[in-house]
Amino acid sequence: MNTKKLALLALLVSIVSPVSQAQIKHIEVRVEGMT
Amino acid sequence: MKQHLGRQSGVQNVEVSLIDGKVEVTPKEDGQIDPVQLLKATYDSGVTAAEMNMTARGKIVKDSSGSLALQVEPNRSFVLTPNELSKGLEALVDTPTMVTVRGQLYKKPAGKKKADASVPLKLLILEVPKKE
Repeated sequence: MNTKKLALLALLVSIVSPVSQAQIKHIEVRVEGMT
Repeated sequence: MKQHLGRQSGVQNVEVSLIDGKVEVTPKEDGQIDPVQLLKATYDSGVTAAEMNMTARGKIVKDSSGSLALQVEPNRSFVLTPNELSKGLEALVDTPTMVTVRGQLYKKPAGKKKADASVPLKLLILEVPKKE
């Protein structure tokens, strides 16, 4: 029973993880004078 | 400015370098960061944003108008400005391949002070450091 649950969990993680790994990693803004 | 930007949703850390005129923003992993809001917040904090560059990881997709886009969240994607680098990514459309790119999201038009928030930001790819 536990093995089945673990297998199902592993399957779910493998499906979801490619999307969750996508993200904005870093943003850099170059600024100049006061507005 | 650091506090103002740090209050924006999805922002983990903000580093301001007055000497270089650079603001480095580290997003949280919750995917809530919105570059448009960040641009607006930069202006609201009293300075002019001359340029905004972003490093992001996502999948290459085609949007409803057939333009290439980088999808960084299930509900957020950035249309790519066509160039040689974006052409090289065309083969990855609708594949599960994740790609990390560095690109320019905004550049201040000559003569204008304020960023126009109504214009959607397009990503001009400057570098493709990693394909997986």
